Amino acid sequence: MTARWRLGASHALVYALLAIAILVVVFPLVWMLGTAVKPNGQILDLRASLWPSHFEWGNIARAWDAAPFGRWFLNSVIFGVGATLGQIVTSLLAGYAFAMYDFPGKQVLFYVLLCGLMVPFTTIIVPVVQILADLHWLNTYQGLIVPNIQSALGAFLFRQFFLGLPYQLGEAARIDGASELEVFLRVYAPLARPVVAAFGMIAFLQNWNNFLYPLIVVNTTSMDLLSQGLSVFQTQFNVNYNLIMSAALIAVTPILLVAIAAQRQIVEGITLGAIQ
Amino acid sequence: MTRGRAVNRPLVLPYAFIAPAVVLTAVFSLLPLGMLAYRSFFGGGVFATSLSFVGLGNYTAAFSQGGGHALEVTAIYTVGFVVLTMSLGLGVALLLDVKLPGMDRLRAPFIIPLVVPGVATALIWGNLFAPQFGFVNRTLTALGLHQANFTASPSLALLTILTFGTWQFFGENVILYLAALKALPVDIVEAASVDGAGPWSRFRHVRWPLLRRNTILIWVITTLTGLQTFTQIYVLTNGGPNGATTTALYYVYNEGFVQFNTGQADAMGMILFLVSLSVTVAQVGLVGRGARRDS
Repeated sequence: MTARWRLGASHALVYALLAIAILVVVFPLVWMLGTAVKPNGQILDLRASLWPSHFEWGNIARAWDAAPFGRWFLNSVIFGVGATLGQIVTSLLAGYAFAMYDFPGKQVLFYVLLCGLMVPFTTIIVPVVQILADLHWLNTYQGLIVPNIQSALGAFLFRQFFLGLPYQLGEAARIDGASELEVFLRVYAPLARPVVAAFGMIAFLQNWNNFLYPLIVVNTTSMDLLSQGLSVFQTQFNVNYNLIMSAALIAVTPILLVAIAAQRQIVEGITLGAIQ
Repeated sequence: MTRGRAVNRPLVLPYAFIAPAVVLTAVFSLLPLGMLAYRSFFGGGVFATSLSFVGLGNYTAAFSQGGGHALEVTAIYTVGFVVLTMSLGLGVALLLDVKLPGMDRLRAPFIIPLVVPGVATALIWGNLFAPQFGFVNRTLTALGLHQANFTASPSLALLTILTFGTWQFFGENVILYLAALKALPVDIVEAASVDGAGPWSRFRHVRWPLLRRNTILIWVITTLTGLQTFTQIYVLTNGGPNGATTTALYYVYNEGFVQFNTGQADAMGMILFLVSLSVTVAQVGLVGRGARRDS
């Protein structure tokens, strides 16, 4: 009897500790929502309750109208989708070729990618901007996207994946007279779909949330991405906390919905990304 | 393995497939690294046409003008970040690994901070810790304690950023440790529990040693994330007050794009690169060479 009681108590403890952890994780977002819909009078009033007495949904519309959110969303989508598609294509192709073929210079080219993996992008931002300036690519979409459409990590992931597939799969198609390109497009590439989804999802989140790179490459309001645009809300709206939190809510909601829909791919992508 | 022994070995296709990734890596990763290393020994602005050799001048200038302090801040922040996110990540992963109903659903909330934009969460954090009317200060008042100005006080600003960074990123370690725990050989772990070992000794003597390689890998990933923390600092404190939250990366940004001391920014960028590189190299050394290139 006591053994069972102790087991029950330890299970309750597990749930209780997890509940506390989840509360800590979720609380800032709940606070954001509560503050976003606070009526004006209750923000700078210490006697007002922490939670709004009634929800002022109009705050969100006011925040939306206070800044070119539509344009920022559009820029973020162009950058996020463009860079992610580029990363998927270049990584898929390179990973496949490194896994499937032997060719002169393979070792050297592989080391180039390996070196790329060792250089965190943040450490080289100053010379990257100098290169972009020479190309007259500052404040342009190509300046935002092109330097980001390669991913050494992605190439390694796809190489690893294709190395695990049997070589014989392609042989059957080759005997039927398929070209090498057809073998890739019809036989192998479709098999990589789950990896494309997992890697693509992680890459998209990283691009969507990338802050430092767009910050230094574009500097006009019309070229700003959502995050860059949002960062000026703090100074612009000072203590209009409900408008600031409404703006945060506008930025958080779409990506949170995407993440909920693609939860499995995100977990897979994070785990895949931790290659050894 | 007969890998790569294609009967009809194509000549052009492999190069065409590899070209985009390799060329882009060379142009936007290796070339800038070369420029960074080279220019860190030269004086002159971002768009300067003539550079003058200054030896280690940029490095000494960086150190005498806040760079040394920035490295200290980076070290304190990164160590705190690694310790907090790894221990919390492992702790929550161990809880989620207990075989109880509903556990697979309880994992989801820990992903949320990872996917929402850092700028948005920085605005939230700024609001929670705002002077006077923020949630934290109102709670302090309610408890009869003194209020504090969390982002403007030199002693508290870095701590505020640290709790923020931990909140935003520890979910990644939850996922990585949970995946590692799920991949442990079931028979060994179960044999230990049959032996009557308690939860702590089961963890300490069975699971923890088995997690060694995962722990090294997670340590590397977490250290690199910590070294590259930027958004949170930019929005919340702008590196202040008085450089209290100016990390090496923030220093690079500030010298390179705000003060236009490109030489100093390059020198600090180079140091940051070398630190990141040593962390990755340390991983190879710790895990052992044999296990790394098994393909």
